[in-house]
Amino acid sequence: MFSRFTYTLRETFAGFKRNITLTAAAIITSAISLLIFGLTLLIQEGFDNLLQRWEGGVEMIVFVNAGTQPDGLEFIQSTLNEQVSVGTVASFEYCDVVCSLADADRVLAGDPTTRKLLNETNIPTLFKIVPAESTEVAFLRGLKESYQQLPSVHSVTLAEEQLDLISRLQGFVSTYTTGLWIALMLASGLLIWNTIRTAMFARRREIEVMKLVGATDWFIRIPFMLEGLIQGLLGAIGAVGIMQFVNWRWTQGVRDFPDSSGMTALVVVDGYQWTVAIYILLFGALVGMIGSGIAASRFLDV
Amino acid sequence: MIRLENVTKSYSTEVVALRDASFDIAKGEFVFLVGPSGSGKSTMLRLLNREERPERGAVWVAGRNIIDMPPSRVPHLRRNIGNIFQDYKLLSNKTVFENVAFAQEVIGKPKHVIRQQVPAVLDLVGLAGKEDRFPHQLSGGEQQRVSVARAFVNRPLILIADEPTGNLDPTTGEGIMRLLDRINKTGTTVVMATHDQRIVNTMRKRVIQLDRGVIVRDQARGVYE
Ligand SMILES: Nc1ncnc2c1ncn2[C@@H]1O[C@H](COP(=O)(O)OP(=O)(O)OP(=O)(O)O)[C@@H](O)[C@H]1O
Ligand SMILES: [Mg+2]
Repeated sequence: MFSRFTYTLRETFAGFKRNITLTAAAIITSAISLLIFGLTLLIQEGFDNLLQRWEGGVEMIVFVNAGTQPDGLEFIQSTLNEQVSVGTVASFEYCDVVCSLADADRVLAGDPTTRKLLNETNIPTLFKIVPAESTEVAFLRGLKESYQQLPSVHSVTLAEEQLDLISRLQGFVSTYTTGLWIALMLASGLLIWNTIRTAMFARRREIEVMKLVGATDWFIRIPFMLEGLIQGLLGAIGAVGIMQFVNWRWTQGVRDFPDSSGMTALVVVDGYQWTVAIYILLFGALVGMIGSGIAASRFLDV
Repeated sequence: MIRLENVTKSYSTEVVALRDASFDIAKGEFVFLVGPSGSGKSTMLRLLNREERPERGAVWVAGRNIIDMPPSRVPHLRRNIGNIFQDYKLLSNKTVFENVAFAQEVIGKPKHVIRQQVPAVLDLVGLAGKEDRFPHQLSGGEQQRVSVARAFVNRPLILIADEPTGNLDPTTGEGIMRLLDRINKTGTTVVMATHDQRIVNTMRKRVIQLDRGVIVRDQARGVYE
């Protein structure tokens, strides 16, 4: 049994040395696909977290027509103050032209054409409103309607509507990243398959002799499968390292986002990244073993 | 030990390598397979360790019809059969010792058994002292001795040799034949395909002659013709 074990290890590592370029390609591809797999999970978790935080304190934004005179603003402000005193609104905050332009910079970062159309004279300023405890949709809709009746009000957005948008964004992002990692995973499976095929071709004389003297197919197959498994695992270790780094950088970066961006919540919490790391390791090992196992069985008749 | 019953083997509709071949080889026999090139000698040998399967007939080896043997049993069949080839089939990146040890390693023999049995069999074939050489550092005859050692190290019931002297000069070939004779005397059944008239005529063993896939002669203590 011991000689069988040392045989397997010796053959596995000989395989690595023989096939260094293909092995490297297979490892890198599986690392990238596993990285995207991990990031997809993290992004989804981040979005979930973001949405979750919105649920707690629902926000409402009242956009005011550009160029509204101070008395117009004062009228809205006094209406809101009134609502604070009767208890329908917990608090509110006014965002002036400079503040609104800065806000637009972030919100429209992905849409520079629209952003360019906005300037000091035409940008709607906005009131950010935290309604009182009630989060009933009907109540919020009523509130929204009443604000829309006010003079100088351009429009009113409920957080509820933004949540809908964010979920749509989440769906969009995860569809594409999922497609990407599945395609890359397939590529890495094929590369591992090809590495093993090449390795078996290089050793066809040994395999012929092994079969002649009565080695079982499993005995012949296992060093190759182990080689594939280690390739997948090495890729997975690389992916976990990069993923942790990316997550750390993201979390650091997100801290500097202004609270009003609503994006500070887009982070992974509760050590979920370590769960993902375990998924990646298992997944990488599995793909490596299956890819090489299929190749080894397929080419055992050389 | 070996029995063929009405075996027909064809590679395609035109190429019929063996036609309705039957014979019986007892334990401990030494049998020459002779016949012109393409008459089916190698095919016959490949049927015995199930490298090939016939369309019709039965192939009995050590009491089992190996034709419907499940694939998972084939390795165990092959552990009872040693193979020797004209081109030796040695692994060039392994030493003499490693080449022979390989046959034990890959069927899971423990290290201490390998350390004991490999030197013994190398001694038997006359290669003591050359354990650490690589195949390219050996003469053809010595390489064939390594291959005999590898075929015999697991003490098979049957030794199959396909033109083992085909690449050797007559004197070296005789040396190999003496070796096979010694192995045969230990009770191992030997089946050998050959073109070598001199060897067949001097050894005077049983001769089975093939012609275009048909057994045309089966003679005890026969000659080449
Ligand atoms: N793998 C194969 N595929 C197709 N035809 C084959 C195959 N192996 C052998 N044959 C054919 O089967 C017939 C018998 O071949 P075989 O190798 O058994 O002859 P042989 O007696 O060993 O010849 P030689 O003395 O030249 O070695 C020949 O016609 C050969 O061309
Ligand atoms: Mg032949």
